[in-house]
Amino acid sequence: MEPHRPETPHTPPPSLWPVGFAVGVAVLLLGLIVGWGIVLLGALLTVGFGFLWVRDVVEGTPTAPAAPEPPPPQGIGAAPVPARQAEAALPAMDEEEIHRYPRNVFLEGATLGLGALIGGIVTVPALGFAVLPAFVDQEPQGSDLGPLENFPEGEWRVATFLEDPEHGEVSRRTAFVRHNGDLNGVPSFTIISNRCAHLGCPTQPQGSLNEEDSEEIEVEHGTVTLIPTNPSGFTCPCHGGAYSIEGNRTAGPPVRALDRYEFSIRDGHLWIGKAYSVGEVEGEGKDARIKKYHRFYPGEHVDGIQQILYPFPAPNL
Amino acid sequence: MARVDERRQAYASYKEDVQRRGKPFYPYAMFHDTVMSVVVVAVIVALACIWYFDSNEEPGEEGAGILGPRYTEKADPGTISFIPRPDWYFFFLFYLLRIFKWPESVILATIGVPTILLILLISLPFLDRRRERRPLRRPVAVVAGVLVMISMGVLTYKGGTVREALGATAAEIDTWFQRNNLPEEARPGAEFFAETCTQCHTYLGSGSANLGAPDLSAVGATGRNVEAFIQIMREGPGAMPSFATQPEENLRAIAVFLEASKGPGGG
Amino acid sequence: MARRPPSLLRRIVNYPLDWIEERSGLIGGVRYFLFRKVPHDTNWAHTLGSATLTAFIVQALTGAILAMYYRPDPGTAYESIQKITNELTLGWLVRGMHRWGASVFIILMFLHMGRVFLYGAYKYPRELNWVIGVLLLVLGLFEGLTGYLLPYDQTGYWATVVAININGTAPILGPFLVNLLNGGADFGPETLSRFYALHMLLVPGAIFALIGLHLYLVIRLGVSSPPWSDRPAGDAMPLPPPSRDGARAGLVRPGARRRVRS
Repeated sequence: MEPHRPETPHTPPPSLWPVGFAVGVAVLLLGLIVGWGIVLLGALLTVGFGFLWVRDVVEGTPTAPAAPEPPPPQGIGAAPVPARQAEAALPAMDEEEIHRYPRNVFLEGATLGLGALIGGIVTVPALGFAVLPAFVDQEPQGSDLGPLENFPEGEWRVATFLEDPEHGEVSRRTAFVRHNGDLNGVPSFTIISNRCAHLGCPTQPQGSLNEEDSEEIEVEHGTVTLIPTNPSGFTCPCHGGAYSIEGNRTAGPPVRALDRYEFSIRDGHLWIGKAYSVGEVEGEGKDARIKKYHRFYPGEHVDGIQQILYPFPAPNL
Repeated sequence: MARVDERRQAYASYKEDVQRRGKPFYPYAMFHDTVMSVVVVAVIVALACIWYFDSNEEPGEEGAGILGPRYTEKADPGTISFIPRPDWYFFFLFYLLRIFKWPESVILATIGVPTILLILLISLPFLDRRRERRPLRRPVAVVAGVLVMISMGVLTYKGGTVREALGATAAEIDTWFQRNNLPEEARPGAEFFAETCTQCHTYLGSGSANLGAPDLSAVGATGRNVEAFIQIMREGPGAMPSFATQPEENLRAIAVFLEASKGPGGG
Repeated sequence: MARRPPSLLRRIVNYPLDWIEERSGLIGGVRYFLFRKVPHDTNWAHTLGSATLTAFIVQALTGAILAMYYRPDPGTAYESIQKITNELTLGWLVRGMHRWGASVFIILMFLHMGRVFLYGAYKYPRELNWVIGVLLLVLGLFEGLTGYLLPYDQTGYWATVVAININGTAPILGPFLVNLLNGGADFGPETLSRFYALHMLLVPGAIFALIGLHLYLVIRLGVSSPPWSDRPAGDAMPLPPPSRDGARAGLVRPGARRRVRS
């Protein structure tokens, strides 16, 4: 290359074609308001000047730019580039090149350290947000199942209710509720969750379901549905689990008995409380002796040898 | 020659060979690719059209065409009458869960088998390191592959045809009466039976054979009388639960129905 | 210059291409991709990979359109799907293509994997690409799983409950996995939007990246000839005699190789 810059022989001389092109576009836009004839005129001007401009640009520039590397671009349709050449698209870096500068430990360390800092700043909150539950320390306040009179002694009701009224319909759950009569002067209830202890499918009462006599009760937060039923056990439609009337596993894959709910009586209403897991139930009704555990997810053993696989219950269940 | 050097050299000779004898990707191979892509898009559009025009706005079974309904009912987390099923490509995992029907083996079906399969799949190129590619000279790999395909196919089929633990419909009850030639006084019992017992027992193709519960299509031919059937329902032998809490008249009605069930052509 | 200068038309076409090439080298890359040599005996079975890619692109496009109308909220998701299917112009087609495209995509992934397995195309030096392919299969199935919930109908909801609980049975980590997927202790108001984000941002992003890597390796390493071809590419180098282990097990007849070329 020459040492002094010549009078820019490569750039095209100033041309009026772009001006003509712009005028064409302006006329075309004007035509959109005025009338179709003007549009046509504008279009002709635009295309004509555009063509002249493009021709000027193309002819005024060498097709082979002064790139330092072969091959000069030839446009599509030319012979294929040999494999090696394209693979060497990135300049090869040999060891010598890397070591021409002395290694600066401080700069390397600082670069990597700052990079890690950025990574940490970005990742930790994202991960924390993803891993940590959206709602921490929000114990469900319990849920009103309605007046005690709706639960005649010795009878079962399929009750659906909002487990966490703040969350709305998505927290609707179902439990099988039986009034066991009084125990030490307070009414006793058996409240069994209908979520299968295998993988959480909805179990069904094994026996007649009296849907004609179902009642809808309006409580403070939402509707509670009560369907009278007369089950002899509960079965799961997914993988064939079966439970006795007290929720003990009788057959199939469930790893424990059906979960149960705590309950309380407030102002003559039955309130459902926290759910808990059950290893096994001995006895029946109000005399039942329940092996009670912290609530675990379905499929997790709470007793037996396999409980060592699940040392921690869910952090916020 | 060391194995590593040998395969490097073989690969170099492959590269050279392709350079020398190969064809350009465009348009020779790409033509096939493009035709295939057109077929794929056409199949997708065709499936979408069949699915839409053969179904109606009703959710679930009522709106279903040959490719199924547009959607089932809105999610109800409190349901007690829905039968959950996965999409078809998870049927093999779904059926695996039904095969491992002991509490101790649950973890094998949920975590164990899928994890082992995945590890084997990922490590395939590191287990099968010979250069040989012809299927007939790779008997172990090919037999293993075919076995995996067959078992996946069988599990998918079984998962897709599993009988639900649901009550039988009224239409099915009518066919029972025709095929088993049942007397009309057995009808109330048949209705109770359809509601409850078919969750485990099968009857002339209805119901689900669950937990080893026997087929009861011809149980009346065993010579038991009504009292004996009531006794069985009250006691619940084996895995069968006791139905002693059910009203006496329901049990008696079911027993009458069972006693009359002597199998097709038997009554 | 002895050669006639190229015609004006040709130069008008070439100018923008040269412009891009000079500034990015992309045209050379595309040319290399298009005009690279593949073995002379590739066949229809080799199209399964690109067919899978086509199915994925269909999913990406239809999914983007669905995302414009879908509402990932338990209260309104089901109604928005009903509206897309029954009211929007051609909404049924977009949703139907997305729904059935998912099945086609998964079938094609399995067929493509079967082809690679049958051809022994996962062997040196293509091991890494097989591993990437398996990861793509897993991510594809995960897309199927997360997408199944989005209509928020009964099938989707309960299949998802079971799937989440399957993760819960993982030793020690199970409960934490369930929390991660649910966005809380139990299936709650956040779960649907979490699955939505996974289904249309995180997992497709990972799939795009892995497909890029997958294709890069295919182009770099080349495509395998069918092993039973008359003269597969790279056949110049004879195979070693069948291993004695195989012969001893009675699986391979010694000396039964079909051809040896020098």
